[in-house]
Amino acid sequence: MRTDDLKQLLHEQPVKRLHWLAKGRIHRHFRLGKARLIQALLALPPEQHHQILDDLSRLRPSTQRTATRHPSQGSRAHPRSETPRLATPSHPDQRESCVTVADLLEGIGVPPPQPFHPDAWQEEAITRLREGDVIVSVPTGSGKTYVAIEAARQAMAVDRTVIYTSPLKALSNTKLTEFVQLFGADRVGILTGERRHNPHAPLLIMTTEILRNLLYDAAGGEIDMRLDTLGLVILDESQYLADPERGVVWEETIILCPTQARLLLLSASIGNPEEIAEWIRHIRAVPCTLIQHHHRSVPLRAGYLHPSGKLTPLFTTRDIPRGQPHALHPETRRLFAEYERETLGSRGH
Amino acid sequence: MLVVKPQVMPPVIHPVDLVQTLRHKRLTPAIVFLTSRRACDEAIDSFEHRNVPLPAHRSRTIAQVLDHVIRLYPSVAQHPLLPTVQRYGVAAHHAGHLPSWKIAVEELMRHGCLDAVFATTTLAAGVDFPARTVVITQSSVRKARDLTELTVSEIQQLSGRGGRRGKDLVGFVVVTPSPYIDLHVITRGLTGNPEPIHSQFVISYPMVLNLLKAHTLDHIKSILEKSFAQFQLNQQATALEEKLETVEAQLAAFGPRPCADWITQWHWFNLAQTHRRPRHAICQDAPPILARLPFLTPGRVVGLPKGRGVVLRRYRSRSQHRAMLTVLNTQERIIECPVAQVTEIYDHTLNIEPARVFPWCTPKSLQRLMREVRELPQHLQGFPLPEDTGNDSVMLPEPLTDEFPCPMCPSQPACRKDYTKAWRLRQEHQQLTKTIHAIRSQLWHRFQQHVEVLQQFGYLTATCQLTADGEWARLIRINHSLLLTELIRMDAFTGIEPALLVGVLASIAHEDDRPGIFPRRSPALASVLGQVRTVAHSLASYEDPPLLRSDVAALGELWISQPSLSWGEFVRTTTMAEGDVYRLLARTLEYVSQLHNLKATHPGLADIADQAMQLMRRDVLQELP
Ligand SMILES: Nc1ncnc2c1ncn2[C@@H]1O[C@H](COP(=O)(O)OP(=O)(O)O)[C@@H](O)[C@H]1O
Repeated sequence: MRTDDLKQLLHEQPVKRLHWLAKGRIHRHFRLGKARLIQALLALPPEQHHQILDDLSRLRPSTQRTATRHPSQGSRAHPRSETPRLATPSHPDQRESCVTVADLLEGIGVPPPQPFHPDAWQEEAITRLREGDVIVSVPTGSGKTYVAIEAARQAMAVDRTVIYTSPLKALSNTKLTEFVQLFGADRVGILTGERRHNPHAPLLIMTTEILRNLLYDAAGGEIDMRLDTLGLVILDESQYLADPERGVVWEETIILCPTQARLLLLSASIGNPEEIAEWIRHIRAVPCTLIQHHHRSVPLRAGYLHPSGKLTPLFTTRDIPRGQPHALHPETRRLFAEYERETLGSRGH
Repeated sequence: MLVVKPQVMPPVIHPVDLVQTLRHKRLTPAIVFLTSRRACDEAIDSFEHRNVPLPAHRSRTIAQVLDHVIRLYPSVAQHPLLPTVQRYGVAAHHAGHLPSWKIAVEELMRHGCLDAVFATTTLAAGVDFPARTVVITQSSVRKARDLTELTVSEIQQLSGRGGRRGKDLVGFVVVTPSPYIDLHVITRGLTGNPEPIHSQFVISYPMVLNLLKAHTLDHIKSILEKSFAQFQLNQQATALEEKLETVEAQLAAFGPRPCADWITQWHWFNLAQTHRRPRHAICQDAPPILARLPFLTPGRVVGLPKGRGVVLRRYRSRSQHRAMLTVLNTQERIIECPVAQVTEIYDHTLNIEPARVFPWCTPKSLQRLMREVRELPQHLQGFPLPEDTGNDSVMLPEPLTDEFPCPMCPSQPACRKDYTKAWRLRQEHQQLTKTIHAIRSQLWHRFQQHVEVLQQFGYLTATCQLTADGEWARLIRINHSLLLTELIRMDAFTGIEPALLVGVLASIAHEDDRPGIFPRRSPALASVLGQVRTVAHSLASYEDPPLLRSDVAALGELWISQPSLSWGEFVRTTTMAEGDVYRLLARTLEYVSQLHNLKATHPGLADIADQAMQLMRRDVLQELP
């Protein structure tokens, strides 16, 4: 469907329905009038348009659909509470504006194999590293490893040493296997407190503590060849900066990191990435780019599974509504209240 | 009519039913986060009880993948969960398991062999691989024996493992209730913004030594200023400075007065006036008491026969009109005592916001005072107090009243009117200035404190150069570094058996106080540990002592003293989970390797450390680099 057609369709909808569509998709949608709402909906990425259409087409027959679906799926444990609701759909609007469990589970499956195309943010991170430091703060599972690999490749291509640090030895090990497969066993080394394996390889894996110690020694005059040619330092899981015991090591590493080396901080979503970028800009000579987004590459949906085995959507929308913790699905709200009552009651016995 | 009784629901869905439901809805593979290690293990056990095995072809694939892992990590073959995993396609993984087991589970998940992994929420040793679905059953976790709510970051890290890129079109978080759940915490976590990161910067002895090895003091100052800690502190300070500016503007609004410091002037004038009233009473005071009175203002630090304290107010006893003080002493008690008992008056005052009723200052400032009184420096400069001979030179409030120019001053009415507000602003101004200064110099101050300690112990010279001892001590970069370097200096480890060394280091490295059953320790180990404990205790004011558990030490000792012991046999000598034992030994190994780094200055010790490392690295401890 073309955008014009969608626009037409949206114009035909009552404002209320537009608001319902905007829920969880558009920030502060309740502030917008009809024209701005439609504008904002159309400005969403194209893949969302399909979902909007889906949602729209589901709107009208929804009462019927829930009525036919529930008995087959409904929990046998609560036949009495189910029936009256079906007989008198007293709040059609409320019911209409909520997803059903069928909607929630729609589209499960394995995507067809696709040629690999780096995401725009991944490419940007890699190019920005040529001119300065980069901080990446994106949701888990977005593909930060790809950035690390390409950045390392880029630095190694110009004969620079790369140090990759992870917070845990166990993770170092996984990365070692992964990097050896990509770059060959002779180009990857690993340093731990008591062991050095291939220490003169251009790509070195270590824990952040070990790197900090290297930086101490280098500053203290113990010349280390590896630091002379150091071109890139990758700090994976940088959110460890907030770790009460070990956070200080991340700070020291960033402060003591030689100026000629680029810093690449990879982190899961954190609350104040801008502040951290600001700090690094403040203390380092090169520019620092913050790459940040909240977009989940695989959409994430939330469900509620009652101990009886009944599954309901957790929220009124299918995708997790950012910034709306109270948008609980009414059915879930009811089931959970029941759960609390029952468990509290049984604790009393 | 038939009355339907409300059905009593199980508080938690049965793990087998959970996995069945997820399978049925095509929500597998899933990672199920449970509250405890025990819950994970029991969940796996319950599959044995229900006995619903996988189809044979799936079990075969699992066996193939496992065979491959076992070739690389032989310890996996010994894992007690192996048959269950093959038969039911579910696994448990938590910090109680070996890292090689985690690799096996990860590998099985990558091949899509498992339907569910039951895990605890500890990220450090837990799962970091994705699945189609993440099941959350709790909203709080046990941290250091307390239940704490999951943070938004934590919930997003957990739920973020739902949906595998390239393998799933959509991912799911499924919340299923258990008695440990507060639904709101979870919905807030799923929909909210992660918490901001706060700097956790701390100054440690090795940090000070290593910085001083390479940099001048000035340079170190600028290095500390580069920390994220200072960056965040500066932001706080800047906010306070803005406030300070508004206070300054308000003060400036009073305009110039005949006295340059009219606020102080009026403060004294005011005090002198209030003291005039009980004139007859003052006259009864002996001269030394009279001499003390002007100093004994609220906030003054004084010495009493039993320790020190800070004056909260001064008053006269009803019966005899004796000069009395209300004092907050270092035991945080508020006591009344006659002025005559004051033994020292220090040239040191603490800030106090006076109040009219007990405890004579605002609760907030009382809180602060309690802390400040405890943290008073050892040495305080005292005022020379006149002994019993009444001396004319002492300022007395009484005659001073007449010397104040205020009664004649043209600005007196204005000052009288503005004084209270100006005094309050002035106090706020001083408070802010102090706080800002404290914030800005906090790190540097702590650095200097550490320098002083290192000088006292002889690791640094008076000019902050590393001494011969400092040169090697900087290579010990672990928690409890001071204890370790002091032990080395007093030759506690000279010629020690490798097994004893490992035992001692294990007890220094171990930070968990959960009880358990452990092997017996040798008398030799007991005696070394006794010595270590004494040293640790004597250092307690400079460094938190480690737990130094002798049972844990015995475990470390055993691993070295019986090199023929297999990992399986070894782990059976204790009730500690094998994952914990592994981490303990891995951490101990790190400590030992630090001693090995002292080759140049302590060849004998480095040699023993080397032997210990050779002996430690066998069996499971050799599997990972
Ligand atoms: N641009 C991309 N297109 C498709 N898949 C990608 C892309 N980038 C990364 N991936 C895949 O996404 C998955 C998760 O990547 P990973 O780097 O482990 O995530 P993160 O470190 O951000 O948690 C990997 O399987 C990876 O192959």
